[in-house]
Amino acid sequence: MQKVDRTVLGACPHDCPDTCSMLMDVSGDKLVGVRGNPDHPFTAGRLCVKVNHYEERVHSPDRVLHPLRRSGPKGSGQFERITWDQALSEITSRWRDIIAKDGPTAILPYSYLGTQGTLNGLNAGDPFFNKLGATISERTFCDSGACTGYIMTLGPTPGMDPESFRHSKYIVLFASNPMSTNTHMWPFIAEAQKNGAKLVVVDPVRTRSAQAADWHLAIRPGTDAALAMGMIHVIITEGLTDRDYVDNYTVGFDELAQRAAEYPPERVASITGVSPDDVRKLAREYAKTQPSAIRIGVAIERNSNGGQAVRALSCLPALVGAWRKPGGGILQLPLWAFPMDWKNLMRPDWVVPGTRVLNQWLLGQALTGELALDPPIRSLFVYNANPMVVAPEQAKIRAGLGREDLFTVVSEHFITDTARYADIILPATTQAEQFDLMFSWGHLYLTLNQPAIPPQGEAVPNTELFRRLAKAMGFDDPQFRLTDEELAARAYDWSAPALQGITLDRLKREGWARLNLPSSDQFAPHAQGGFPTPSGKVELKASMAAIGNFVLDVFRQGSNEFQDGSPVDPLPGWTPSDGGGARFPLSLISPKSHAFLNSGYGNMRRQLAHSGEQHVLIHPADAGSRGIAEGSSVRVASAAGEFTAIAKLSEDVLPGVVQAPMGYWPGASGGATVNAVNPARFGDLGRSPAFSDTRVEVTAAG
Amino acid sequence: MPHVVTENCRLCRFTECVAVCPVECFHADAERLYIDPAVCIDCGACIPACPVRAIADSIDLSPEEASWEAVNRERSAALPLITKKEPPLPGADERRAALGY
Repeated sequence: MQKVDRTVLGACPHDCPDTCSMLMDVSGDKLVGVRGNPDHPFTAGRLCVKVNHYEERVHSPDRVLHPLRRSGPKGSGQFERITWDQALSEITSRWRDIIAKDGPTAILPYSYLGTQGTLNGLNAGDPFFNKLGATISERTFCDSGACTGYIMTLGPTPGMDPESFRHSKYIVLFASNPMSTNTHMWPFIAEAQKNGAKLVVVDPVRTRSAQAADWHLAIRPGTDAALAMGMIHVIITEGLTDRDYVDNYTVGFDELAQRAAEYPPERVASITGVSPDDVRKLAREYAKTQPSAIRIGVAIERNSNGGQAVRALSCLPALVGAWRKPGGGILQLPLWAFPMDWKNLMRPDWVVPGTRVLNQWLLGQALTGELALDPPIRSLFVYNANPMVVAPEQAKIRAGLGREDLFTVVSEHFITDTARYADIILPATTQAEQFDLMFSWGHLYLTLNQPAIPPQGEAVPNTELFRRLAKAMGFDDPQFRLTDEELAARAYDWSAPALQGITLDRLKREGWARLNLPSSDQFAPHAQGGFPTPSGKVELKASMAAIGNFVLDVFRQGSNEFQDGSPVDPLPGWTPSDGGGARFPLSLISPKSHAFLNSGYGNMRRQLAHSGEQHVLIHPADAGSRGIAEGSSVRVASAAGEFTAIAKLSEDVLPGVVQAPMGYWPGASGGATVNAVNPARFGDLGRSPAFSDTRVEVTAAG
Repeated sequence: MPHVVTENCRLCRFTECVAVCPVECFHADAERLYIDPAVCIDCGACIPACPVRAIADSIDLSPEEASWEAVNRERSAALPLITKKEPPLPGADERRAALGY
């Protein structure tokens, strides 16, 4: 082990609820190790299988360290080194030509949370692209559908403190596998279990978390909304409601009761595969064992009923009075506790009215011309994202990226399957080389990341990338001269109660700070109602449904134009989704993998070793009837495409369900990965993806 | 590719690892500990906690050490879970010194 000269207080940059306080050990100018901060109550001294050995990513010989220009055919992977000046000059001259001919909306930014820092993450490029007048990206990769459903019901409230789960007496995890994707929350759940709480996991797969649960309910994919409605039915018909809480702090109870009458346990059982007795038992135990807590994972939204599932689940705590005590309620996204100044981050004031909005799930259709766009997309600018891995319709995206007339710029750490098709690749810094301030969507701590080592090669943070692009485009607004610290100062409302006592100087010294909120032992913000909805109450019948389906403006560069607007049922419920017919009889789910972070680390030997080859989990009965043996190569096909994988036979999946984790890189996995079969379909709310409704057939690969 | 407890644990059993493990994946016999690979989430918390550096990510094992994967898998399945820190074995400090830690 190398001698450590100094340790720098940092923060894990990834799109994960845990946002760890990360200690970065430096020797000379080299990052030699990272550790979880033992002083941080949530990080508790450990990182995870993804981020341990971050130094291997930072100092990987495969890093892109200089601007590159394509020197061979599209997708050939042939590049030559150029200077930053040459890169900026080529990008801006191509863009000026495109703008002159087709207007700025022929340029499309594409990004999400490759890093999720306040400065370099979700909104890093919004001021620049809003100023440019480019097509607005609607980024509904993660939790947009759940956010829409949750906010319609409860408003933008943090809801529960995840640490308060230690006080819960009954915990139900829906579509959540914290052992793999929220690992620092697990100890709080385990502590509750040790103190006698019952842990129930509702999941089509016997995940690691389901194996540790007291009760695993194996549910058919995409039917959580029906189970939640069944719980509501039982709770209301058996008189298990907290009448006082319902009377004082909810609206729409009678209408909800009427709707729930359509979901008796027998019908729910026929939809979900959960027996009528289990539906009753779950509802009774959940209602009677207070405080009860529900944790929903990102996967909850990934089907055509996902938004309504979140609506129904968000109604439940109010019906049983779970909000009354710490440890009761529902946890979706405590991001809303952070007093963000989104307008300063996005500059929506620069959006020219009428600027079109394109949902990023439709990239393949947009690039190939299948989606009629006028003007068509002439240039694509990708940062913080690897759509070849994370977006559906992989074959269409590849075909689109292969267009010789498409001018593609990608800012990256590595030559990903997406970057391989770029005309220009720009080198991006890793978290070890940049300054950022991190909110969290999984706990209530603000964390500062200070650079530990100088930028490697000529890499730049996204903040600097957009300063350079702005200057090269001749944008002279002071916005584009703000330093990183000035951007951080403007990104939050420091006068808000939640930030009292917290300053950038303090964060520089201490690395992290809990928001100025009651401790997790006392955190019960809705013990007496006070929901930030239009009525101030839990909207069992949602008044916001009147405006139709919408995506929060933080996911669309601050724009509110061209919202989906399709009708939304103000009451939760479940409607059948399209089956796959005889050709595609199996339901495919493609969750986040244990060792990758979306597409991140899909090229790193350590995480690949933990993940093994691209595989698909299939029930022995389904494998047997198809002549598929353990470890054999299989072809997974849908109406959208196909990929090959190794079959793993396991009773951990329900018969009729197959699971293939997302994150493998196509170039290293036989040319295609699971998003080759996922179609670009939206769920019912917030334009979530419908990946858990994908219908496939699996056959032995010849 | 799980994490494994290797040779240095034998006759030490400091069990610091058990205290930091978030998922209860350690099993014990009279001499040493083993990791259940089906439960371990590869978080790596135990590696720096061990006073004698007995625990490793299996990808970092030398070819001679590779057999620890099978040993941990087989022995953990046969032995009881250990969920709380216990006193080290008698002579653990001497062995630690002999191991150079």
